Amino acid sequence: MKNHLLLMFVFSILTSIVLTFIAKNGVKERVKYFFYLLASFVLLSIVGGWLMYPFPF
Amino acid sequence: MEKEAAEEIREAIAPAGPLRTLVACVAGLCMPGLGHAFLGKWDRAITFFGSITLMFALGLQLNGRLFDPSLENFFSILKFFADAGSGLLYWMSWFRGAGVGDPTAYTYDYANVFIYVAGLLNVLVVIDAFDIALGRKR
Repeated sequence: MKNHLLLMFVFSILTSIVLTFIAKNGVKERVKYFFYLLASFVLLSIVGGWLMYPFPF
Repeated sequence: MEKEAAEEIREAIAPAGPLRTLVACVAGLCMPGLGHAFLGKWDRAITFFGSITLMFALGLQLNGRLFDPSLENFFSILKFFADAGSGLLYWMSWFRGAGVGDPTAYTYDYANVFIYVAGLLNVLVVIDAFDIALGRKR
């Protein structure tokens, strides 16, 4: 598994699952919060990656 | 009907007592999700065990390093505590000689982050078990 994007997805999914079960009760609330967290992880990682793109290190 | 529901909620958030709280926290520190299983929160227990164990195993599989308790410098102490948060997963792997790490591997940095975060998430899970045991949350 050498794909950074895939690894980021796996990391985001596993972390979001744990944080969702810590923070929320009830299936509906958990599903909503899980997708909110997952989208935040993925989008902010991509945005952060693009912002760091010009840095030489 | 409402009375029964109210009684159920009251039972669900009743404090577990100091001994049960201590056992739940220690169990959770030993194995992800074990504290919740002890408190009867099986959905959380299974989820935490599965997710954190998978994250830790992926970290090892991707050539991550388990930082040992050698206390070389400040950052390796922090890395050790993050890794050791996984409890027995860390200690069993460490005693078996796993997690040597290969800094030249393409996935080395990612793998280390997987192992750190697995340990840190388990610490959060233990705090969650503590709150449940004290009746602060359901």
